Amino acid sequence: MRVAGSYTLAVARDRAYEILQDPEVLAKCMPGTERLARIGPDEYEMKMKMVISAVQGLFDGKVRIADQKPPVQFRLIVEGSGKVGFMNGNGLLTLTPATVTTGMSIRGSDGTEVHFEGEVHVGGTIAGVGQRLLDSTAKLIIRKFFEKLSASVTSVNQAAPSS
Amino acid sequence: MIPQNFEYSAPGNLNEALALLADGNAKVLAGGMSLIPLMKLRLAAPEHLVDLGRVSDLKSIREDTGTIRIGATVTHYEIESSPLIRGKCPLLAEAASNIGDVQVRNMGTIGGSIAHADPAADYPASLIALEAQVRIVSAKGERAVPIEEFLVDSLTTALEPGEIVRDISVPLEAPGAGVSYQKMVQPASGFAIVGAAARVRRSGGKVAFVRVGITGLAAKAFRASAVEKLLEGTAGSAADVQKAAAVVADGVDANSDLYASAGYRAQMAKVHTARALTQALSRAS
Repeated sequence: MRVAGSYTLAVARDRAYEILQDPEVLAKCMPGTERLARIGPDEYEMKMKMVISAVQGLFDGKVRIADQKPPVQFRLIVEGSGKVGFMNGNGLLTLTPATVTTGMSIRGSDGTEVHFEGEVHVGGTIAGVGQRLLDSTAKLIIRKFFEKLSASVTSVNQAAPSS
Repeated sequence: MIPQNFEYSAPGNLNEALALLADGNAKVLAGGMSLIPLMKLRLAAPEHLVDLGRVSDLKSIREDTGTIRIGATVTHYEIESSPLIRGKCPLLAEAASNIGDVQVRNMGTIGGSIAHADPAADYPASLIALEAQVRIVSAKGERAVPIEEFLVDSLTTALEPGEIVRDISVPLEAPGAGVSYQKMVQPASGFAIVGAAARVRRSGGKVAFVRVGITGLAAKAFRASAVEKLLEGTAGSAADVQKAAAVVADGVDANSDLYASAGYRAQMAKVHTARALTQALSRAS
């Protein structure tokens, strides 16, 4: 299954690149992440508990970051498995500067457009019976991730004194 | 195929049910046409089920100042066969008659269906076209939300922990109005690949009122306002219908699966929107 899309974050590109690779931030924003631990350079182990409607699944997996070209691009490789099935995915994230207009201010501030494009494969029970819902669920999870991420960068911005 | 152990409660009235649900840990059973299969596959393993089947307050269909109030545990079959709904809100009866198969319609409930919020469920298209209101109740009180706000995302609703759907109210159809629900069915599941619900009224040779709701195409059912705008005020000719239906998928992030790619779904949405509008217009006087 192919996934693609773009979201705009209200931070400058260098900072956005940092945030997107910060395990603490990722663990907070990825829906259901219970643990994310570094096990090697650019490699993390994670435990997730996904709850979507009545369905819940525990996943153990790994996240790897590759092909880094700061602050423009990197590749995120995710694999996970649990009782209800397995998934692996691989996506290229591209960051481009964008203008964000926030609240009442007419002058736009520095922002970053994050474009992602990749492939996700899901198998096991969850894919067998949930095939009809995989696409909309994958999109839902990605949407939730970026919503939380953009909420967390906004709150960081507000906490910092602005000129 | 055997679910994990769970506790089962079957409260006899609404207050008892709400008290059992107040801590937000129990899962509501309202027909179980989606939940029970998920539990048997062990994709869902709730520790406590509260069955609303014996709560008689949730089972009524009644007329109430210009609307019909349908209790959350009214089954699809009861909606399909209710003389009141067939006579005064025929779109909903038509949608109900298109759901799944006869076993599902005998067990499945309208409240259960909308609370599950499957992106391809049949009701939401009609409920959006009807601008239905959902009354939500919890131990703390009651609130009403329009169906479009109730459906937040794929499998996600505005229900907070401890809250349940109490009833759904739909307007009485105006005399002379024409309605139609057109569905492309996914044969294995009975769900809609796409479904289009339309309501129209004519006045002075022109289309005076149009409501279109679409299910199955996107993460949640939505109102096709662009289609409505294009058709309103026209003579409602075949060309007018085609022109309006053509924009139904514009700007929509269409779902995609093994059965229907995003592009195919978008095309089928246009076809079924045109069919629904054509039939609704032919039924309007």
